[in-house]
Amino acid sequence: MGMASPKSDLPQGTLDLLILKTVALGPVHGYAIAQRLQQISRDVVQVPGGSLYPALHRLENRKLLVAEWRQTETGRDAKFYRLTSKGRAYLEAGSARWQRLSETVGLILAMAETPR
Amino acid sequence: MILRRWLRRNDREANLDKELSFHIEERVAGMVRSGLSEEDARRRVRLEFGAVEQVKEECRDVRLTHWAETFVRDIRYAWRNLCRNPGFAAVAIATLALGIGGLTAMFSAFDTILIRPLPYANADQLVMVWDDLSKTDDRTRSAPAPAEWYEWRRFNTVFTDIAGTQPTDATLSGDAAPEQVPARKATGNLWSVLGVRPLIGRVFHEEEDRNGARVAVISYGLWMRRYGGSPDMLGRKIDVNDTPYEVIGVMPRDFYFLPARDIDLWIPASFPAWMRTAFGWHDLQVVARLKARVTREQAEQSMAALSLQITAKAFPRPHRTVVTWLREDLAGKTQTALVVLLAASAALLLIACVNLANLLLSRGLARSREVAVRVALGAGRGRLAAQLLTESLLLAGLGAFAGLALAVPVMRFLAGLVPETMGPARLTLDWRVLAFSAAAAFAAALAFGLVPAWRASRTGPQSGLREGGRGAGGARSYWFQHSLIVTETALAVSLLTCGGLLLQTFRHLRNTDLGVRQEKLLTFETPLFRYQEFGRRDAFLTALLEKIRGIPGVINAGATSQLPLKLNDASATFYWIAGQPRERIRDQVALIRFVTRDYFPTIGARLREGRFFEESDRRSDAQVAIVNETFANRNFAGRSAIGARFKFGNVGDQGYWYRIVGVVKEIHEVGMEEAERPAVYSLHEQGSDQLMLPPSGIAVRTAVEPASIVPAIRQALWSIDKNQPMWRVQSLEDMFARQLSTPTQSTALMSAFALLALLLASVGLYGVLSYAVTQRTGEIGVRMALGATSREILFTFGKRGLVLTATGLAIGWGLSIAASRFLNALLYGFRPDLIPTIAVASLILLGVAALACLSPARRASRVDPVVALRSE
Repeated sequence: MGMASPKSDLPQGTLDLLILKTVALGPVHGYAIAQRLQQISRDVVQVPGGSLYPALHRLENRKLLVAEWRQTETGRDAKFYRLTSKGRAYLEAGSARWQRLSETVGLILAMAETPR
Repeated sequence: MILRRWLRRNDREANLDKELSFHIEERVAGMVRSGLSEEDARRRVRLEFGAVEQVKEECRDVRLTHWAETFVRDIRYAWRNLCRNPGFAAVAIATLALGIGGLTAMFSAFDTILIRPLPYANADQLVMVWDDLSKTDDRTRSAPAPAEWYEWRRFNTVFTDIAGTQPTDATLSGDAAPEQVPARKATGNLWSVLGVRPLIGRVFHEEEDRNGARVAVISYGLWMRRYGGSPDMLGRKIDVNDTPYEVIGVMPRDFYFLPARDIDLWIPASFPAWMRTAFGWHDLQVVARLKARVTREQAEQSMAALSLQITAKAFPRPHRTVVTWLREDLAGKTQTALVVLLAASAALLLIACVNLANLLLSRGLARSREVAVRVALGAGRGRLAAQLLTESLLLAGLGAFAGLALAVPVMRFLAGLVPETMGPARLTLDWRVLAFSAAAAFAAALAFGLVPAWRASRTGPQSGLREGGRGAGGARSYWFQHSLIVTETALAVSLLTCGGLLLQTFRHLRNTDLGVRQEKLLTFETPLFRYQEFGRRDAFLTALLEKIRGIPGVINAGATSQLPLKLNDASATFYWIAGQPRERIRDQVALIRFVTRDYFPTIGARLREGRFFEESDRRSDAQVAIVNETFANRNFAGRSAIGARFKFGNVGDQGYWYRIVGVVKEIHEVGMEEAERPAVYSLHEQGSDQLMLPPSGIAVRTAVEPASIVPAIRQALWSIDKNQPMWRVQSLEDMFARQLSTPTQSTALMSAFALLALLLASVGLYGVLSYAVTQRTGEIGVRMALGATSREILFTFGKRGLVLTATGLAIGWGLSIAASRFLNALLYGFRPDLIPTIAVASLILLGVAALACLSPARRASRVDPVVALRSE
């Protein structure tokens, strides 16, 4: 599994969810995914190519994404990724899980701060 | 196809290249737009993006090895997990090694003896045909007569052909030291029926058989041993029983055929004319090849009908035949022993699996927090189950590995199970055994890993995290663990029972009174075909026995026509007791032995009544005989046999009347597997010219180690006749031990399996109960806080264990009774007491179970409620 950049320190499995979420907004190529993640997270998440592309290919391999070659507005050939229905289901389940976990973790952290 | 795949791969490479360079170019362009020089932009992008080739490599890996990578990752994860719990891993691997190792070793013996193809063409069409002389329904096997063979061959409709072999002894002499070799006379079609070819030369054909040609086919072993593998073997004349035979062929090294693997010489049977009609002469062993699409059952029916038809007119008593598979006759009792032991080792592996399933379930509960976290982090249930199962596979694989190391020495021990009727087989770890072992390991992994993996993967993230250390499952998982314990107990008690039955049988066999003092009794045989005439034979024997008695260390020596413990003995006679109606004769058969006067004292036989043979019996006109107890009991129940007169051998008007002068305590004349039979002992020195069997078996009672005087005896023999061979030299103790080798080994193995089963079952019970106590510490605390005494707690937990054990025992009894039916063939006619055996096995198990329960139950009863509740 590729590592996210030291700056973000993403937990395992999280990068997949972020990529899926980004792609869910509409077909997009790898460069744009990286750009968007960086913009949306206000530069917190910075994904190096060594993490992004293996992750994309893995998701494609697991049939969560499909890819096709298209032209960009600037007229260059680029590989565009699109979410499959399987990918959408995975994304939903993953987001829900993530939500629950972060609540639980938050709860535990909050508990730890309350004096006994 | 390959080309297309190659093109597609090239395509994919190009696309990957394009995709990555697009990213880099866009990034560079973006930076240039924001004001950087192109050179600077490129440098920064290179740093930011990482090494392009490495990224490519990782993308390729993702694509090509998705499955393999997952598997490797799971294995690595499993390995780390095992390393973290070395105690658990060691117990699991050791348990599996015992189970898989035992099963693998048993399989290698089973495979070698019962599955592997025999060295004949289409061996699955080969059957043996036997006379069935029983008057009841059980199929007995007796040797057919050559006269029957002629008829069968002519009239049968079920065989493509049918051949026979006859026993014969062969003394090889002249070209080297005289040597007696096991030999067979064979009908000329034996080779074509078996579908075998010689290694060199040719085999004899039917024409030669009919004409009585003096040709011989020899074994590879004899060729090497006696003739040093000489290349000009073919055409050489060798002296067989002082008659020159021409060697025409040498059989391949792996060829063997009934009745023993060590037959060295085959010569044409060339039945004399009188044998064609002598329906009373039974010494043939018949092998036949089934026609295509004829089953053994059909052949047996057809042959039985034919036999009844033939024997109705020409035989004293009409009888049927039985047709058996050649393989069955080759394997003999070993077949049952193997099936029983294979089943036992499978049961042992099953017990091992049950134990591990239990261990994993307990661990699964303990690990539910870890699992819950992983589920929360996005691991799919299928993936989780696969991962847990991988752990089981890894365990099973390591267990199988250790098991193989264990199997090799066991296999060396098992090689002794290969019956003497079969070819020289070594049990080796070949691919078949390895494949079996791998399959067993895989099956075991599924058996012990599937349910725990499924259970664990169902752990919900909330329940796992919220319930703290207590884990999920609760009461639901107990019934499964409990049924595992019951299974284990049931299997263990039936293995213990089988072990007990075999052990009793073995003790019974071991302690069988042979009617002979076994210690320091040397036996050997020397053929007497050169001494057909009574006077010469008597002189030779007297001289030989005299010389042997003169050897220092020898106490006494005697001769008999057949030494004790003879397998498949055929030297029997009809007899007729004075006063009986003549029709009784055909139902009265007894073994017959011609012995010298010193034979009984030499072997240490004991009298029930009367006397042994005496000096005064020599050449007296009054013929005397000694009978055994079975003979006396059958014919003189409740009265003395001494003085009674009877005929045997020649029961016609010309036959002598013999007077019974002694009843000897049963001497075990037949093989250990066979039941005692009536026997008649006639004195060789009386020299009747009727039926006479040469006393070629010599027994020597020594004061010293028997083997140490063998050279002196050989010297004595050769000083009288330098062409006399001496063979089958062995002490009676060795003979006895060899006959007990199958029961010895099957008993040893079964006992080992049973003890291991007992051990594993008690460990399993202990494990489950102590885990239950640990799990329920809180509950115990509450109950104690509410006023339960330690005695009550002790009782609750103790009772649970004992109820489980008792349930297992009840099921085990059923299993034991079923298994004991199957064991019958291995009990050698001995009837061990089943019920007491089951009772003892149950008591042992109960005792061990009580011990296994005691420690966890005591621990439970000593729980301090305060500590227990705080630990919640």
